Amino acid sequence: MSNLLVQNIKHTNNTTSMAIDTSGQVTIRGEGSATTTNLQQGLAKCWINFDGSGTIATRDSFNVSGITDDATGRYTVSINNDMANDDYAVLNYTSGSTNSSATAFNNNFLGGNNLQTSTFAISAYAADFEDSDMVMAQVTGDLA
Amino acid sequence: MATLKTNTLTGTSTAGSIAVTGEGNSTTTNLQQGLCKAWVNLNGTSTISTRDSFNISGTTDNTTGAYTHAFTNNMNNDDYAFGSCHNGNDFSADRDGSDSGDVATSSFKRILTLSGTGTQDNDLVLSIVAGDLA
Repeated sequence: MSNLLVQNIKHTNNTTSMAIDTSGQVTIRGEGSATTTNLQQGLAKCWINFDGSGTIATRDSFNVSGITDDATGRYTVSINNDMANDDYAVLNYTSGSTNSSATAFNNNFLGGNNLQTSTFAISAYAADFEDSDMVMAQVTGDLA
Repeated sequence: MATLKTNTLTGTSTAGSIAVTGEGNSTTTNLQQGLCKAWVNLNGTSTISTRDSFNISGTTDNTTGAYTHAFTNNMNNDDYAFGSCHNGNDFSADRDGSDSGDVATSSFKRILTLSGTGTQDNDLVLSIVAGDLA
């Protein structure tokens, strides 16, 4: 592996694109060029798409070590490289079982106040907890 | 201060895979995997209009409360992770969802905004996509 020791990355026209501080945090030029943003903070740390019906199965994921079928409509996602704390943000989204009635669709809310550094719980709920064939989640926050 | 001037950053082992040190400095994360691949802020009422977006070529008004977002640069497959929410009118009844079955493809994603007993147009529909680009 080759290492490049650098503090700034610029376009060849001399416009600064990224700056790297002593701890490795990267500041990036924003889209409007009026401000900067933090690269690490802006990255999703974990995402998953899985079938939560029958024998649950992951279709694709990033930084997920596994999923657990806790009960009908309730799941726990295990994070591979842990978060720094339990103060991160999770976006949860599930498909409904039908498009015939809004009441048959799931509310998208987390499965209780259960964010851990290495796991988080999510759920699918219509009139009651129900399995969903399309469960998706994204995590942003601080990695350990 | 060392400065690198370049137009493109590319991984050496895999072109589309660059490791980045995490906030806690004890692990790394993947730059490409962590990047949002598409997002959109949509006014879904009347003649729908996109307020702002990234990697969205357009949104189709399918029917009341049903919209299809089309990607500019397609995803690698239909296994990406999608999230959407809308400006709720009824806290207890408003939901966001997708039709059951094959509603996501590498080139588009169909979503529904729902309230009470049916789909309902909404003036603020927000969506975000994570996953693998083609």
